[in-house]
Amino acid sequence: VTELKKLYDAVVTGNAKEAAAITKAALAEGADPAELVGKYMIPAMDEVGRLFECEDYFVPELLLSGRAMKAALEFLRPLLAASGAEPAGKVIIGTVKGDLHDIGKNLVAAMLEGAGFEVTDLGTDVSPEKFVEAVSTKGANIVCLSALLTVTMPSMKTTVEALNAAGVRDKVKIMIGGAQVTDSYAREIGADSYSENASAAVATARRLVAA
Amino acid sequence: MTTVTASTASRQRLLDALNHRQPDRIPVDFGGSAVTGIHVSCIAALRDHLGLEKHPVKVTEPFQMLGEVEDDLKAALGVDIKSVPGRKTMFGFANKDWKPWLFNGLEVLVPGEFNITTAENGDILIYPEGDVTAPPSGRMPKGFHFFDAIIRQNHLDPDHLDPADNLEEFSPIAEADLDNIAADVKAADTGQYALFASFGGTALGDIALVPAVNLKDPRGIRDVAEWYMSTRGRRDYIHKIFERQTEIAVANLERIHGRIGNSIDILFLCGTDFGTQSSSFCSVPTFRELWFPYYKQMCDWVHGHTSWKIFKHTCGSSERFYESFIDAGIDIVNPVQCSAVGMEPEGLKAKYGGRLVFWGGGVDTQQVLPFGTPAQVREQVLRRCEIFAPGGGFVFNSIHNIQAGTPVENILAMVDALREFS
Repeated sequence: VTELKKLYDAVVTGNAKEAAAITKAALAEGADPAELVGKYMIPAMDEVGRLFECEDYFVPELLLSGRAMKAALEFLRPLLAASGAEPAGKVIIGTVKGDLHDIGKNLVAAMLEGAGFEVTDLGTDVSPEKFVEAVSTKGANIVCLSALLTVTMPSMKTTVEALNAAGVRDKVKIMIGGAQVTDSYAREIGADSYSENASAAVATARRLVAA
Repeated sequence: MTTVTASTASRQRLLDALNHRQPDRIPVDFGGSAVTGIHVSCIAALRDHLGLEKHPVKVTEPFQMLGEVEDDLKAALGVDIKSVPGRKTMFGFANKDWKPWLFNGLEVLVPGEFNITTAENGDILIYPEGDVTAPPSGRMPKGFHFFDAIIRQNHLDPDHLDPADNLEEFSPIAEADLDNIAADVKAADTGQYALFASFGGTALGDIALVPAVNLKDPRGIRDVAEWYMSTRGRRDYIHKIFERQTEIAVANLERIHGRIGNSIDILFLCGTDFGTQSSSFCSVPTFRELWFPYYKQMCDWVHGHTSWKIFKHTCGSSERFYESFIDAGIDIVNPVQCSAVGMEPEGLKAKYGGRLVFWGGGVDTQQVLPFGTPAQVREQVLRRCEIFAPGGGFVFNSIHNIQAGTPVENILAMVDALREFS
């Protein structure tokens, strides 16, 4: 019988091959997909976040754990969808118009997915119109905007304005992040929250959906 | 604003600062390297505003679209440094055979092999070595201001990695390149300015260079995330790359020094960013294991054979690495990102002021310079000068390149404040 604690360990240590193999074996033995996620993977990603916060882990370790988590989710996602299990929240994420830097955005997406959120990643250089369209079609309740560059930060403002103009602003909470982004900038452009890093973004998203 | 004519005082001023002696005034750099420059659009606006000769500005660093700071603008800004650029641009072509290009409505000059196409969505695509038959290696979103690397990770077989694949861009320097460097140094060495050289080949895992936008079909690990993960998960592989790269780099530096001697004053060692806005990309023990031995090897050679000072760029929260930098033999840190966690200027000066030269830290380019008022710029520049200038060990520069869209009034407020302080 597969020892499920090893799934937790594989995610925490960032071993994608092991995470996939354990998940596959556990499912073959009849494990409950929701239990694998809720009891092992979400706590594992929470631990990864904790290790990052206390600087035992850094960006490379977050990326490795995110990849391990995704390798396991490949097997679990279709089963969870078929079971009708409700995600912790529905997130639309992307880097704003003009910005092609996606490491931070990818980390936030992985951490949110690891925390049980359904994440639709629109990729990089995403126009305000695409964000508006995705909010309408995906039924999202959180929009995450990422920008690394000083010169692309204003695209966050135009995206918030576009969500307002389209009349969908009230349907979602808007989170922003990126190297030069600040809490005061979030307030200035009418976003709901700023997160300093991927781990903090999970806490913020949980708080916003609970509000 | 008054104009300052460079003289031999410029070089002496910089040497005083680098040797932690009080110079006659704070030495200034703009345009000395690819991390201390000015966006071409800002240079054009500055030249216009200052009434300097009207002509299209040369884009000397096409990846970030940095422009040439010519001698007349140097004089107006009080710059004390002259750049000796690398053998080739980031995209693998030489800075020569200039041709006009209309860049977001601004006429500029670009190198002859700066060859581009326009993607269906209006983005601009650029090609390695200017070869449009190869897949593009850089993309500039429509209407924006500089290129980003296109990741071409076409040959990765995680079970059969060969460090040689990640070494394609590092090779023994050719005689023709040595000739070019010697000619560039000779042309720059007028005795006026301090010379700042970026020969290339000494950067260890600079994430801007990992995608190898200069190569037509790069092999090895070229994806940014894959590289970061490899610094944790494939240490042996990274060690082998750094080990061989360092051997090549030292041999090249030896040959370059054989041709130019001590004509240059500063060597750009490496632009690898170890800091993030609030943390770092690795722990100090990881740095000591993975990077330190190779930096030390290069620095030891330089200090043992030349009078060159060694310049290390790392953005973000980097203070935790400064003791290791000093141990390795690094003389100068840049850009001194005071807005990052743990980078408060007073603390940095007090702790490291006698042992490291702060090249940067003059004004914040994330918020204050592009978005603040001239009064806010002035206030920050004066304060930073008060903190960093005493006893030398400070070269004024904004914190990284001056970004596109920065108001001319703010740039002039920065220069005026610097002059007011001096």
